[in-house]
Order: sequence, then structure tokens, then C-alpha cells
Amino acid sequence: MFFIAEEKLHILLTRLTDDYQVCVPRKKNGKLHQTRFPDGGGDYTLDEVRSCEPAKIFFFRAREKVADGFGAGPPPPPPKPACITGVKACDLKSLEVQDYVFLTDEYTDPFYKRARDSNLIISADCTQALDTCFCMALGVNPFPEKDFDINLSKMEDGYVVETGSAKGERVVKDNEHLFSPADPSQVKTREETRKRVQSQVRININEYRIPQEGDWKGWKPIKFAYAFWNQDAKNCVECGACNTVCPTCHCFLLFDQGAGKKTSRMRVWDSCLIKDFARVAGGANPRPELWMRLRNRFEKKFDFFPKVLGINACTGCGRCIAACPAKIDIRSVLGRLAANAH
Amino acid sequence: MLTDGNPYAIRKTTVLRVITETPTIKTLRLKPSLPFSFKTGQFIELSVPGVGEAPFTPSSDPAFSDELEVTIMRVGRVTEQIHKVKKNDTVGIRGPFGAGYPVDVFKGQEVVVVGGGCGFAPVRSLMYTFFGMSRDLKKLAFRGGCKTPRDFLFKKELLGWKKRPGLDVRLTVDKAAKTDGWHENVGLVTTILDRLPVNPKNAFAVVCGPPIMMKFATQTLLKEGFREDHVYLSMEKNMSCGIGKCGHCRLGTYYACKDGPVFRFDQLNGLERIWE
Repeated sequence: MFFIAEEKLHILLTRLTDDYQVCVPRKKNGKLHQTRFPDGGGDYTLDEVRSCEPAKIFFFRAREKVADGFGAGPPPPPPKPACITGVKACDLKSLEVQDYVFLTDEYTDPFYKRARDSNLIISADCTQALDTCFCMALGVNPFPEKDFDINLSKMEDGYVVETGSAKGERVVKDNEHLFSPADPSQVKTREETRKRVQSQVRININEYRIPQEGDWKGWKPIKFAYAFWNQDAKNCVECGACNTVCPTCHCFLLFDQGAGKKTSRMRVWDSCLIKDFARVAGGANPRPELWMRLRNRFEKKFDFFPKVLGINACTGCGRCIAACPAKIDIRSVLGRLAANAH
Repeated sequence: MLTDGNPYAIRKTTVLRVITETPTIKTLRLKPSLPFSFKTGQFIELSVPGVGEAPFTPSSDPAFSDELEVTIMRVGRVTEQIHKVKKNDTVGIRGPFGAGYPVDVFKGQEVVVVGGGCGFAPVRSLMYTFFGMSRDLKKLAFRGGCKTPRDFLFKKELLGWKKRPGLDVRLTVDKAAKTDGWHENVGLVTTILDRLPVNPKNAFAVVCGPPIMMKFATQTLLKEGFREDHVYLSMEKNMSCGIGKCGHCRLGTYYACKDGPVFRFDQLNGLERIWE
């Protein structure tokens, strides 16, 4: 393990801009947002908590041209890979789900694959927990343990640095002079911080009585499905914010735009809560009622993915709780699911 | 079959011919710009420049490669534009996608094919495949139904099948006027599913049609003694990406685009609202 001082990290990030579009979390109205580096100087916050934007924005873009239409010119050159910083463990976990969707099976998604291969992930330990954080209920610790290139653990005047891939090791090696070996006392501080944040997340889990992963395993069709789901669906406004901020939601819509010889095929994030999501051209809709669509969202996360991938497609990041204008709370839904599992 | 490794890229395709089948159904004969082949029951995404794309199962014989026919009912935004396409126009296709019909499973077996309405399109492709392997089938029966003789897709051709040796055919319409000159059965498709020339305990059934027709045909076949895992259904879902990624066509733990669109009834049994 290494140590890098605050100002030396700034030098490192500046150097990385040669090869990457470096992004850093910055505070806006008290919340962390992904922003471009170096615009805005050194006022970024790599520790604390997750950013409002999920990590998927760097791999599966919210809006992306995926093909040219008829007779259009050659596809645009690939964008500069991203160096994403301050990514938290909950977002790293979400990449397992996105990888399954976009990289397995007969067809891989060339856009996701390119980003996954070329992006550099500099993750960071959480040093706080929001009251919506419940990662540990989903088996995720509030500090990265795998799936990063470089991980940073905040110290008073810098970071303890751990590498997690050959790519990360190369970055450290190429910039050796910026790093020094980590001091045992710094490693000890890291462990203490980690324990402190874990206990904060545990307090959340207890306070909101969030069941532990496994307590709702074996999702059974609930007998009084309408009554169960309509409690929340009656307040849902079908805005799709929960899908947008969710790091594991992967559904998208393909559409063509332009006319004549200049057309292109676009891909945008889609929302399974919107009425037409599963509707077919003839008009039949397998989920015409909002409660069915809300149930579908949970079924996909807590039944489909456990069955096909062996993991829940939720990382406990709590973004959907913060984003929902109707105050639909995934924690209470999970509580009720667990109560119904017996 | 990818264009430059990109599963979303369109392959330019020339419209060789447009056939008006019924007032709301047209068949397009297409020639893709690159070599193309498909297995019966697989589907393609057909697009009109700048408008969008929609999924269709080819209605032609997969044995003829490099050209294909798709038969399209005008029901929505994209199909409205597809119906305006003329000979020599350029359209786009992606695919083929999906698993298609498990033709090998049917070898040496008795098979009943039940088609309804627009479902004759995929079924015609399957029947051509069966005609090409008729010696491999123990028995083949065809049952087809439509609302009226006027919207009976491929009517002449299907009536012609009645003369095919070794093929047992019965056709029906829900309603017929005297002026229609209809000499076949009148009644729902379920009324011609009795007296099947097969042993339902071992026979296979393939059903393709509007959801309501598939629902009642399946119920009738099961009542006749067919096994749940011997009834194959074509599930019409909102297939968009075609490769199991966009999430629109999920059915339980399956995606219709990748794992279907043909499913055995026992794969779907227990899922809610499969007929919608």
C-alpha cells in the first residue's frame, strides 16, 4: 500500500488528463455531483459518500449514438476514455450487473465493452454514510474491496492508496515519485474509519428495520399482490427517476432520428415504470396498471437477477429513496417483502 | 450476423416486391445487401430510415437464403410507414434474432400446426420447412383460422394445401357472409381442434396467432391431452434490441428476443398475464 499527499494527487489527476477525461465529484448545494476535471480547480471531494450520479453514466451513457442510419458518414471516433474518481463500493458492485447484461451472451455491447476496457476507475472509501445508505444489507461494505484499478482511503493530508488491477499498478509505477509507502499508522487509521462508517450504516439498517439480503430470498408471488404493491403504486407518478439514478438499471430504448440520408440510431435510458414500456404495437400491454409495473421493477432486481446471475440487482446506494418525489422507499418495500417471505 | 461487430447497426436491404395480401396486410420481398440466412421462427428488426424499427418473423422459406419475405399488418407508427414502402426502396434490417422453432425436436413426431390471423406469417415459414423435411415427420396437420374470409391471409395458398398429399388441413373463419363464397368451417379456431389425426399423448403442437387465439387454442389442446411441454407458442412481446439487453421483452427469467420468441407452454406456465 502507498500514500499520496493531497497536492500530489492533484498532480496525478492533471497528468491523467493526457489520456483520460478525468471526472471528479464536487459539491453543489451540499450534494456530490460528477464534474469534469480540471474545470473548477481543486475543490473536489473524493471521499465522503456516493455522488448523485450512478457510475453507469461512464459506461452505459444516458444518450448515445449506437449506429448510423442510411448512407451517413463513418461513425464518430470513440471518445477519450474516462478516469472516474471517488467511485464508492456500491457503484463498483453495480458493475457486476451491468457487465452481465452488456458483456455476456452471444452478443456483447461494443460501446459498453469499449468503455469498460478503457476507463480507469479510481475508487474511494466512504468516510460518511447518508441516512439513505444501506449497502451492508446487500452484502456490500462501504469501502471498495475489488473491481477497482486504484482505491483511495482518505487521511487528514492525503490518501492511502491500494491498487486492484494491472492497469492501476501501471499508473502508480509510471508516477512513482508521487507516492510513498503507506505508514502502518495510516493503514490503522484506514481500518478505524472503515469500522466507523460500517457502524453508521448498521445504525441506518437498524433504524429503518431493513432486512438482510437473504431474508427475502425465494421471492414468491404474493397472494394479495394488488394490495401489497398498490400501497406504493398509488403515490407513484411514473417519472422514472428511480430508474435513472439506479446504478443497476440497464433498460434502454432505441430510436431513429433525422431524415433522408442523415439518420442515426440513438440509445437512451428507458424506464420500466412508464406505461408503454412493454406494450406491443397491436396495443396489448402485459403491465397496464402502475402497481404491476412497480412490482416488475422489484421483481427484476430481487427475483430475475438472483435467478440468472445469483445476486440482487440492488447495491443499497439509496439513490432511489432520495430521488422519488412520491417518497417510495425501497427499504420499507424490502421489509414488507421479507415479512411476506415466511 | 453483425454489421461491423455492432448489433445495433442496420443492414441496407432492397425491397424487391410489395404484395398486398389483405386491406391491412402486406408482404415485402427483401434482398439484404450482405449474405443473409435465418432459421424458421427467428425474427428480424425491420426499419424505415428515420422512422424506427419493429420485429417481424419472416414468412418465407428459410431454405432460400439471401432473400426473405416479411408479412406485416398495419397496426402502429412503424408499420404505417412500412406499408408506404415501394418496390426498389431501401429499408434496413437487423438480425436474425432468437432461437426460432426447434425443428430437430419434431423429427419423427406427429405435429399439429395451428395458425390464426397474422400468425400465418411465421407459420408459413415453418410449414415450408416441414414440407422440405416431410419424410422426417410421422404426421403433419394444419389448422388455420381467421376472422372473415376477406382478411384470410394467404387464403389461396392455404386452400391449396388441402390438396397436398399427406397433409391434413382444416380451415375456419369466425364469421362468413353468403357472398364470401366460403366453403370451409365457420366458428372459432377451437372448433377445428377436435378429431386431430394424431395421438395427443405424444404429438407436438405449434400455435401462432393473436394472444386470445393462442390462449384458447392452448387450453383446447391441453384438454385434448397434449403435454404442456409439447405445445410451442410464439410470444409477441415488445422486442427491441433483439439481444437480451434493453429489457423490454422480459418474460419471467427469459427474454422473448433471445430465448424465444417461441416458448414451450411449460416454460411460461405460472407466469402472469402471458397472453397480454
